[in-house]
Amino acid sequence: MMSRCQVFLRSSIGKKLLMALTGLFLIGFLVAHLAGNLTLFVDADGGAMAVYAQKLADLGPLLWIAEVGLFVLFVVHLGLGMRAAMENREARPARYKDTAPKGGRSPASVTMIATGVVILLFLIVHLIDFRLVDGLFAHPEPATLAKVVVERLSSPLGAAIYFFGMVALGVHLWHAFQSALQTLGLRHPAYDKSIKCVGAVLAVGVAGLFAAFPVLCLIYKGDWPWS
Amino acid sequence: MSAGHDDHGSGGLDLTLHIWRQESSEAQGRFETYPLHDVSPDMSFLEMLDVLNEQLVREGREPVEFDHDCREGICGSCGVMINGQAHGPDRETATCQLHMRRFKSGETIFIEPFRARAFPVLRDLVVDRSAFDRIMSKGGFVSVNTGAARDANSILIPKENADLAMDAAACIGCGACVAACPNAAAMLFVGAKISHLGLLPQGRPERSRRVLAMVAQMDAEGFGNCGNIYECEAACPKAISVENIARLNRDYLIASATERPPTASGGGA
Ligand code: HEM
Ligand code: FES
Repeated sequence: MMSRCQVFLRSSIGKKLLMALTGLFLIGFLVAHLAGNLTLFVDADGGAMAVYAQKLADLGPLLWIAEVGLFVLFVVHLGLGMRAAMENREARPARYKDTAPKGGRSPASVTMIATGVVILLFLIVHLIDFRLVDGLFAHPEPATLAKVVVERLSSPLGAAIYFFGMVALGVHLWHAFQSALQTLGLRHPAYDKSIKCVGAVLAVGVAGLFAAFPVLCLIYKGDWPWS
Repeated sequence: MSAGHDDHGSGGLDLTLHIWRQESSEAQGRFETYPLHDVSPDMSFLEMLDVLNEQLVREGREPVEFDHDCREGICGSCGVMINGQAHGPDRETATCQLHMRRFKSGETIFIEPFRARAFPVLRDLVVDRSAFDRIMSKGGFVSVNTGAARDANSILIPKENADLAMDAAACIGCGACVAACPNAAAMLFVGAKISHLGLLPQGRPERSRRVLAMVAQMDAEGFGNCGNIYECEAACPKAISVENIARLNRDYLIASATERPPTASGGGA
């Protein structure tokens, strides 16, 4: 006999619920990460970022726990996402000659697996760039981190990777937030519009602010006109 | 009617139909092309197929098989993909209620069966939708004895619940939601059924058991996962709302956490 928890997690709805929860936690992480990045807008020499990075490093074992937790969130989310995508393909073995939407879909909602895979590829590059510079078991040196980041993003290739990675993230988030709430069963005509609105602001705001950084680096090479 | 007011004589449409033909579930299917002339714009889509079939029979060829019964949008048996849209281009319209005036003379129309692993093609445009029946047999009913018919209003039902239940009960089980879903998911159908029963007092005692059993059967039938893409709602001839899918998600979560299997001793002392 499967336990009731197993039954739940193997059901289509249970899997989607887990995707929604992990996805929402990942959105929370993104917002915190973005707040950290904003220190670089203050001064590209990295004074503000070094303070922030040092605070993180001072967390000691807590930082390790947070990193492992984040890793688990990602693995669960993308594992279930890929599995769902495969099951969905199997659910329609014979394709239609042609499908014309009747108005439900959006470009974001039908490309979740594609934008998801782009985000994953981006993440691998991103971790190699900035997290693994001193190896897996050492965190990068707070004092010089900003320099490494600005250097990487000032090259055309680096800027392009970070810019288009964030475009994929924005498209993913455009569908993700309201979809997650629907999966959790939180839907009511009274707050339908607000949920869509919050999702749109999150997608454009988070991805836009992340993406602004490589663009500015490419133009100013870290020499901000305002500082 | 005054004569000679347009360029196709009697005012009929000339169409090129590409129709999916498949002898059996196992056979390889293919599109075949049929020109059809002088189709009255006042005909329904199924009447147009009737005319085609008469022509095919006259020519000694096999008529195109398609499902239909009431032809007034209430039984749910008709339903084909018309130019890539379940039940064709109109909103809130079943194939039997779609009219040929929606098409232009000279148009090419592709007609395909609803496609999903859980809906195997039986022949031509006819698919086997018994997966829906098997889901219903797991709990899409009220099995507790509710006694003889009572006075109206002896069971009070909030107006809002009655409205929501009636909206959900409009589902005719045609399968357009599955056909239109990029993932071939059946969540709108199951969501409509658990809503129309679970929102009413007679259906409430079995609400948890019902949702667990129906979702288990839905998954076993091989439908896809809901991606909240909402093509189902757009394709539904009865405009069933995706709010019912949110209710299904919610009920399933709550039922998974709280449902108690019946005990051998029953209740009491
Ligand atoms: C920071 C990164 C990410 C965030 C914040 C995020 C967030 C979300 C959220 C909130 C959802 C909605 C869940 C639902 O529909 O209930 C979602 C869906 C999805 N995510 Fe992500 N995600 C991220 C990365 C990824 C990655 C790396 C992949 C896969 C390689 C991925 C694949 C998917 C897929 C396929 C769906 C749609 C699932 C479905 O509707 O069936 N995501 N994501
Ligand atoms: S034939 Fe009954 S709904 Fe179309």
